[in-house]
Amino acid sequence: MNAPRVIIRLDDDDRVYQPGDTLSGEYVLESIPPERVKAVEVSSLWCTEGKGDEDLAVHDFRRSAAENGDWFSHNRPQRFNSTLPNSPLSYDGLIVKVRWCVRVRVFLGRGKELLGEMPFRLGSVPAASQSPLPLGEGDGEGKSEQTA
Amino acid sequence: MPRGIRVYGKKRGNRRTGSRAIGSAGEALFFAVFLLLGCVGLAVILVTLVLPEWRANHEFVRHTCTVLDRRVAKDTDGEGASLYRPEIQIEYEIGGQTYRIWTYDISKAYSSGRSGKQAIVNRFEVGREYACWYDPADPNTAVLVRGYTWWVWLLLIVPISFVLIGGGGCIHAALHWGKSAERSAAITRRASQLDLFDRDGRNRDEYPNIPAATDMTNSPGTTLAFRLPIGTSPAWALFAVLIACLFWNGIVSVFVVIAVNSHLEGDPEWFLTIFIIPFVLVGIGLIVYFIRQLLVTTGIGPTLLEISDHPLHPDEEYELFVSQSGRLTINSLEVLLMCREKASYRQGTDTRTETRDVYRQQVFLREGFEVYRGMPFEVQCDVGVPAEAMHSFKSDHNEINWKLVVKGDVQGWPDYERSFPVIVYPKAEG
Repeated sequence: MNAPRVIIRLDDDDRVYQPGDTLSGEYVLESIPPERVKAVEVSSLWCTEGKGDEDLAVHDFRRSAAENGDWFSHNRPQRFNSTLPNSPLSYDGLIVKVRWCVRVRVFLGRGKELLGEMPFRLGSVPAASQSPLPLGEGDGEGKSEQTA
Repeated sequence: MPRGIRVYGKKRGNRRTGSRAIGSAGEALFFAVFLLLGCVGLAVILVTLVLPEWRANHEFVRHTCTVLDRRVAKDTDGEGASLYRPEIQIEYEIGGQTYRIWTYDISKAYSSGRSGKQAIVNRFEVGREYACWYDPADPNTAVLVRGYTWWVWLLLIVPISFVLIGGGGCIHAALHWGKSAERSAAITRRASQLDLFDRDGRNRDEYPNIPAATDMTNSPGTTLAFRLPIGTSPAWALFAVLIACLFWNGIVSVFVVIAVNSHLEGDPEWFLTIFIIPFVLVGIGLIVYFIRQLLVTTGIGPTLLEISDHPLHPDEEYELFVSQSGRLTINSLEVLLMCREKASYRQGTDTRTETRDVYRQQVFLREGFEVYRGMPFEVQCDVGVPAEAMHSFKSDHNEINWKLVVKGDVQGWPDYERSFPVIVYPKAEG
């Protein structure tokens, strides 16, 4: 038997979207007994990576729970879609990065969870490190300070 | 792979993230203790101080009593200091029964300062009749004065603060208890949309996580549309340096005096003398820096920047008006458009902030010229945000900030730099 997992597919294979585009796709719960699923949360979200502590914000959030009478079909893919916002755009900075993804979290009871993620890009801002934008002397010059 | 509740979280990059379940439990426990302490404290103050005082003012019955004796009662606090309170012995009759008690007010509180209490006691003459108020539920309790004591109400601030902090924390913990990071974030987002005093609500909905440009467009320019506000006022920066300078040198000077006196008295404290040298050097450095800032702030006149439109959009050009006042011989005056990333993170009990410049473009440069008093140097130039530029961004711990920076190299003066934040929006489609 295969290990239980969440498979997420986006309709756009490039996985590059512009603000206002519709993000659509589907997810499938593979090798998970239906009776074990207590709830499923589907989110499109962004989070930061890099030097700073992680920030996370959800753009679209849907929760289906067995206790609410929601019905889970495990044999066929579940669709999702959402209109993407104007900001923040995906960004690969030197110490700040903004990542977008679709995240499906499956609650299996007894505190167990299963997570599936599919990253995508919003906008087409080039990475700061490969940016053609001019940086004068002292490229990437920075400083750090400390507060109690 | 299915995951259960972990005591330890996973390692993420160079940080270890804690277990969410343990974290939530710890948070809830912390605030529950706060709430409990607040409730207990509030109950004690209400029952022992507020309620008796309220009853004395509203429910006690006016009567007449005779003063039999008077004294200043004495007690000591935990550290052995003497505390006092006035006590008057009175006699009164209710329903045919005579009561004889020592009393004054309902709080029966001791405090420091004997003379004040003695003066109160002296106001009562033995053998004379005075008005008193007795408790109809317990006639053995009576007072000679009524009213409210201010410190009782002030005291309420402490437990009420505990209740508010603890209660708020418990509600927050309950709302996020057992919820995923995404669900918690969704709740937080909905709550922020209910903020009645949020001036930037519309902008936040249209352009999430881009700071509103409201504060940068509420000052019209004289030459162009908007006068940009300066990032940090030079006066405030100078004030901050002055406070730091006084604080540091104030403490160091105490040790300097001790060390100098030891030398003057012929019994030199060599260890102290050597130990304080680096601290004295830092203090001198702060004084030099303060004088430098003072010269820059007072000697170099104000710098004004006006822009033809705001907020800025990538791939668009804007007119910029620069004005520099003062009486200066300027070696070079430069205006830069800069983008800086800023990230803050917790490390132990410290919050560290790191910045990194990712874009720097010279907008204007003029070398070797004079600025005369009453005739500010004024110039108009163009500034453009690159087509592929990242927009301004602000979240709790991460920021991308754009700004226009004016750098001056002035003959006979320290170099100066003044920043004017601007907001860059994403590139307009179409």
